Amino acid sequence: MSEQKPILEVKNLRVSYHTYAGEVKSVRGVTFSLNKGEAIAIVGESGCGKSVTAKSIMGLIKAPQGEIKKDSEILYNGTNILNYDKKQWKNYKGGECAIIFQDALASLNPTMRVGKQIMENLMGHKNMTKKEAQKEAVEMLRLVGIPEPEKRVRQYPHEFSGGMRQRVMIAIAFACDPKILICDEPTTALDVTIQGQILDIIKGLQKKNDTSVIMITHDLGVVANIAQRIAVMYSGVIVESGTCEDIFYRPRHPYTWALIQSVPRLDLKNKQELATIPGTPPDLLNPPVGCPFCTRCSYCMPICKEAMPEATDFGNGHTASCWLHHPMAPKVDMPALKGGE
Amino acid sequence: MAALTPDKFKIIGYTQEEANRIDRPTISYWQDAWRRLRKNPVAMASLVVLGLLVIMVIIGPLIRGYDYESMNVMEKNLKPCAKYWFGTDNLGRDLFSRIWVGARASLVIAIVATALKLIIGTVYGALMAHFGGWVDEVLMRIIEVINSIPSLLLTILIMMVLGNNLFALLVALSVTAWCNTARQVRGMIKQLRESEYVYAAEVLGASPVHIIMKHYIPNMLGILILDTATAIPMFIFTEAGLSFLGIGLKAPAISLGVLISMGQQNMEFYPFQLLFPCLVLCIIVMAFNLLGDGLRDALDPRLRQ
Amino acid sequence: MGKYLIRRLAEMILTLFLIATATFFLLEAVPGDPLSERADKLSPTVKENLYKKYGLDKPMMERYAITMKGICVGDFGESFVYAGQTVGGLIHDRLPVSARLGLQQVILGVAVGLLLGILAAVKRGTIADYLVIALSVLLISVPHLIFGLLLQKVFAGNLQWFPTIGWPAGKDLWFGGWEYTVLPTLTGCFTYIATYARLLKTSMLDVINQDYVLTAESKGLSRARIIRKHILRNSFIPVITQLPMSIAMCITGSFFIESIFSIPGIGQYYVTAVNNQDLSIIMGETVILAAMYIIVLFITDLLYVAIDPRISMTGKSR
Repeated sequence: MSEQKPILEVKNLRVSYHTYAGEVKSVRGVTFSLNKGEAIAIVGESGCGKSVTAKSIMGLIKAPQGEIKKDSEILYNGTNILNYDKKQWKNYKGGECAIIFQDALASLNPTMRVGKQIMENLMGHKNMTKKEAQKEAVEMLRLVGIPEPEKRVRQYPHEFSGGMRQRVMIAIAFACDPKILICDEPTTALDVTIQGQILDIIKGLQKKNDTSVIMITHDLGVVANIAQRIAVMYSGVIVESGTCEDIFYRPRHPYTWALIQSVPRLDLKNKQELATIPGTPPDLLNPPVGCPFCTRCSYCMPICKEAMPEATDFGNGHTASCWLHHPMAPKVDMPALKGGE
Repeated sequence: MAALTPDKFKIIGYTQEEANRIDRPTISYWQDAWRRLRKNPVAMASLVVLGLLVIMVIIGPLIRGYDYESMNVMEKNLKPCAKYWFGTDNLGRDLFSRIWVGARASLVIAIVATALKLIIGTVYGALMAHFGGWVDEVLMRIIEVINSIPSLLLTILIMMVLGNNLFALLVALSVTAWCNTARQVRGMIKQLRESEYVYAAEVLGASPVHIIMKHYIPNMLGILILDTATAIPMFIFTEAGLSFLGIGLKAPAISLGVLISMGQQNMEFYPFQLLFPCLVLCIIVMAFNLLGDGLRDALDPRLRQ
Repeated sequence: MGKYLIRRLAEMILTLFLIATATFFLLEAVPGDPLSERADKLSPTVKENLYKKYGLDKPMMERYAITMKGICVGDFGESFVYAGQTVGGLIHDRLPVSARLGLQQVILGVAVGLLLGILAAVKRGTIADYLVIALSVLLISVPHLIFGLLLQKVFAGNLQWFPTIGWPAGKDLWFGGWEYTVLPTLTGCFTYIATYARLLKTSMLDVINQDYVLTAESKGLSRARIIRKHILRNSFIPVITQLPMSIAMCITGSFFIESIFSIPGIGQYYVTAVNNQDLSIIMGETVILAAMYIIVLFITDLLYVAIDPRISMTGKSR
């Protein structure tokens, strides 16, 4: 890995939501960094805190329900965005960092013309006049592959199809050439046939603008397509992170094993039964003291229930937090896939 | 952290129960709604106030032992005093007793009218949703025509046809009010019928009775409870207004509206004769409104967390 | 578009026809007839003439036909009670009075209500929010009947700041004699303030939780712009649906206010007509009020289309 300074560093991020039932600790100490032009993926099942992480980076956690804990740090080019003042936030949001949500229909204002929703961004950050912004909006729509953009800018979101709406979202996000793009499950709500197109557009624009991308997803297929590095999140913590290669071919955490095994594979000869992960994740209202995965882990040991494992470094930035890598633990390898190669 | 000993590093795996354990106790919709209602001090206070009002409406007239009808020429227009807590009216009748009898009448009228509204509205709405097609179309048109007349006009017309009596008042009050209930029920049933979970229940072979009991009724109960909480104060309003205009009940029948309209006549010199019935009316309506707000918050599944 | 308007127009006329018919037969069902009191003391021939004059000697169906024909050409006949008084003349004299009262109420009430609603939603959880909530509960729980009486007692009776009863007439009909209109307008506008403050607040809080507001925030727009362009416009949709109800309320709700402050509007006259069994007046006023109401409903539908692009003109109307 090159020793360039990362564009974004998240250090010990902890976020809680205050609900009727009590304090839900959605994110419990997440640390990772993002280099310029790099794409990393945050993978995990629903409710593991990946979307909350994304929202925190975007500055969208709202008090009083949401609370970013005190010693959390999100450093953008070395400054902690959590200490930003109003003006800095205004520049950062949309200008430096942009986000694409899962449900494009819900994420677009139903009573505002699509063109205007793109123009808003341009006029806010690039000091464009209305005319310039209008022209640029058409260009943006053309760029994301929407046919007849001159006509489309004057339409409302409900007049677009699902894939087209997500393209509009991408156009909004890329309008001001952000340095960081967060994609919060951008393809989950789409048809499989459209998913690839959308990812290609994101990838194309990322290359062109040298944007850093944080891809939040539960779909390992999407990850393989786009990311160079992967962070596997479970129950509010990152359990394993490393390069794509490391995670797919040399995974070290039982949760990652299980995750990889639960992906349907077409390349295996014999019919295999689709592996599933038993049970449900722990309730983050009172998170467990030990490893959060221990209640579902085939390799659970007594120590797992008592204390949180430290991260073990395997080199090349590949780390995993599991007691199995403690010198006293028995040696276990990732189970072979049923059905053979 | 406890010392690390080798026996802590034996693989024991997981047990099925442990994996499936759900820490948060599951609570049903109604338990959750009740829990949230109970946590709402304003709603609970209104509930207590309403309870007290109901008690007063039942026993209020008996407390002082004065008949609400018997007149006493020697003691008319008295100010509130130890003997007559709320004073007396221009015929020397005890206002305290009269107010509770009047409030009783107002409450009963409102509750019966609400019941009528709910029954007619639910049946009508269910018919619309059940038959659909042209039946639905025709029934909907009828509602639209009724809704095209300002409701107070229709109420007044009905009162005119049927005369100033209790029965007429009930018919007049509920004649326009049920339309809204019918629409809501129709919308709800249609939505439920097309919803995937009801479809799933049908596919899984649930009997119609089961589907009605488990899906339709619980879903509609929320709407109907809210409807009740908003309809009762509205009816109390309208009744008072009609009586005030001289179109509702007329003396010697009494209700809060009748008392207010009598109080207005003496407002210049004996303001308390107007004040007390107004006060009781406002308390009843406010308690219902606040309870209704609490119920709305408690029953809204979107607020569930 | 043209086709839609024609269809709506036909529907409106049909509705009005049904309302007129229903009103006619309802009035037929009223026991007794409006002339009996006057006619009792008269000799049989005079009595016969009187009945003939008002057409009450004809069979019901024939009178129905005559009434409907009259409505078509805008002639609702003459008052049964006050000789020479026609419905047309009455509306001409009294409608402006009620219209001014209603408009003043709605404009003041809705404007203040919406402002309070925005305040409560934007300053959610602060003292301002709680004050607005408390105020709206209070205003909604006190019937305007009672408000009217209390205001009258305090500000006209005790303090003598405003006249107790009456309404400007003549050249002051629309813009003048404000002191007469203050108490009635206040009385009427309280309900609107409460209704709209609550409605807009709920709706805004609903919209604030929508994803597109998050999108707007992620664009780094100013808070004022997010509220104006993204939250308010979408929050106004339920407000627009509520408006026809308010107009209806302002037509009939003023009945009480007109009665309390002795305002010579259509509401007060309607009540008098009902008490006098003045059939032609009741018929005429009902049809005219219903017609106004139907037109308001129609305008609301158009507004609805204008504010929410998802609803198309030609689709389902409501």
